[in-house]
Amino acid sequence: MKLVQYARIYGIQVKNNWVREAVYRVNFLTAMATDVIWIGVELLLFTVIYANVPVLAGWTKPQVYFFLGIFFSSDALFTTFFQRNFWNFSDLVNKGELDILLTKPVHPLFLALSRWINITAIFNIALGLGIAIQFANPAGFAGGWKWLLVAAWLLIGMTTQILLRFAFSIWVFWTERSWAISRLYYQFFQFATKPDTMYPKAIRYLILTALPFAFISSIPARALLHGLKWSEYANVGGVLLAFFFLNAILWQTGLRRYQSASS
Amino acid sequence: MNWRLAALRNGFQDATAYRLEFLFEVLGSAFVPAAIQWVLWYAMFKIGGAHEIAGMNYSDMVQYTLVSLLFTQIRGGDHDFELQEMIRTGQLSNYLLRPVSVVEFVYIRGMAPKLLIAGVCLTLGMSVGLFFGMSPVRIMGAMLMALIGNVLHYQIGAALSTTAFLWEEAYSFLMVKNMLVSLLSGELIPLNLFPKNMQWMWKITPFYLYVFGPTQYALGHWTHTYFLEQLAWSCVWLAAGWAFIKFTWSLGMGRYLSHGG
Repeated sequence: MKLVQYARIYGIQVKNNWVREAVYRVNFLTAMATDVIWIGVELLLFTVIYANVPVLAGWTKPQVYFFLGIFFSSDALFTTFFQRNFWNFSDLVNKGELDILLTKPVHPLFLALSRWINITAIFNIALGLGIAIQFANPAGFAGGWKWLLVAAWLLIGMTTQILLRFAFSIWVFWTERSWAISRLYYQFFQFATKPDTMYPKAIRYLILTALPFAFISSIPARALLHGLKWSEYANVGGVLLAFFFLNAILWQTGLRRYQSASS
Repeated sequence: MNWRLAALRNGFQDATAYRLEFLFEVLGSAFVPAAIQWVLWYAMFKIGGAHEIAGMNYSDMVQYTLVSLLFTQIRGGDHDFELQEMIRTGQLSNYLLRPVSVVEFVYIRGMAPKLLIAGVCLTLGMSVGLFFGMSPVRIMGAMLMALIGNVLHYQIGAALSTTAFLWEEAYSFLMVKNMLVSLLSGELIPLNLFPKNMQWMWKITPFYLYVFGPTQYALGHWTHTYFLEQLAWSCVWLAAGWAFIKFTWSLGMGRYLSHGG
């Protein structure tokens, strides 16, 4: 029953967002163009690098493009359903808008994180998958039923982003303005744009544990192309669980500290 | 003149009011791009075993990364986003009633924290650079070019923000500009890594004057004559940017419908 109620609320949110996006059609198109250019810039960076070297930390050019395809799709999933909500999270707390959500008969985090949907970014999911499909064969991806694993890894990538972004946003209960910390998140996010084997040991350890940006696309691409060791699968599960519990504790502590700013 | 000083002071106060935020921003924008660059060099030279790429060895690449840090801190700024937001929300009307140029006012106020960072970077570059045989004159010249680059960046952003008069939002255009700048300014990789048939990509824009140009001059890879030539080009770009702003804003103001109360 509860699940049906949540699904109905989400359906209404999707409808509202669709209407909003349809009103600003030009913005819809320019936002799509922006994403295409962003993808183009990332591809261009590696094109320039591979013009100078044939292999980069064991990754051939098609393998890196395949990795980028997974990265774009995974990131687009997060952008579509969650990104705007995290940008507005700071306002919820410091403008006191969280009050309204706390009084509703559904979990306040569900409302806080599902209100805004960026429908334009759905296009990027397809674009990323298109790139991955294009380079799957030359990259050595087995294909067939393994495409089902792509969907699973994309969900893991999106979950990683949600947990990480939440861990960076939650400090607004203490700092009152989390804009700079959000920016810091996007600086660290750059670590997700390169395969993890390219990094020196210390950074690699960091992005596989305390700041698991490698789970967004590097680990998925490696798992799909070559498979992972059991210890690596366990690491992914363990780290994500740890982040989930850490976020839950921070949320509860933050709520206790929360003082409404509204009148 | 008074309002310019007041706007600058206002900008300083705004930046330093949230000191922790300011510090996070500076640290984040300095060290993460540098770490990313270093990772690429590490992958190419240490893991890949390359000795020289585009005439540069590992230590040249690391040197480029470290020196470019001084200038990546000065490039950019998000005040063009502020302009587009003013147009979109109708806040622009408040500024039209005042005897100041809104484009200039927003720039001066937004420039304040960059000036502070430029001062720190210049001092750091000149003092640390001495130990590595870098000429203070070159660092000062390079910083001048980086500051001109900052103005240019804003000029382009201010002109692009006028698309908000047409379509209510210019956010996407400004984002596209920033993405292109991140690659074509030399912030991510030295631009001489571009293969010969792709070099035109960065040469046709002024973005290389933001980071790549200043870094090359500071490192002594550009002669004084070539630097002066490039400085002259940056002045040409400035004049073009100014004309571009005049043109786009006069067109935009003709279409402006204030939504403000």
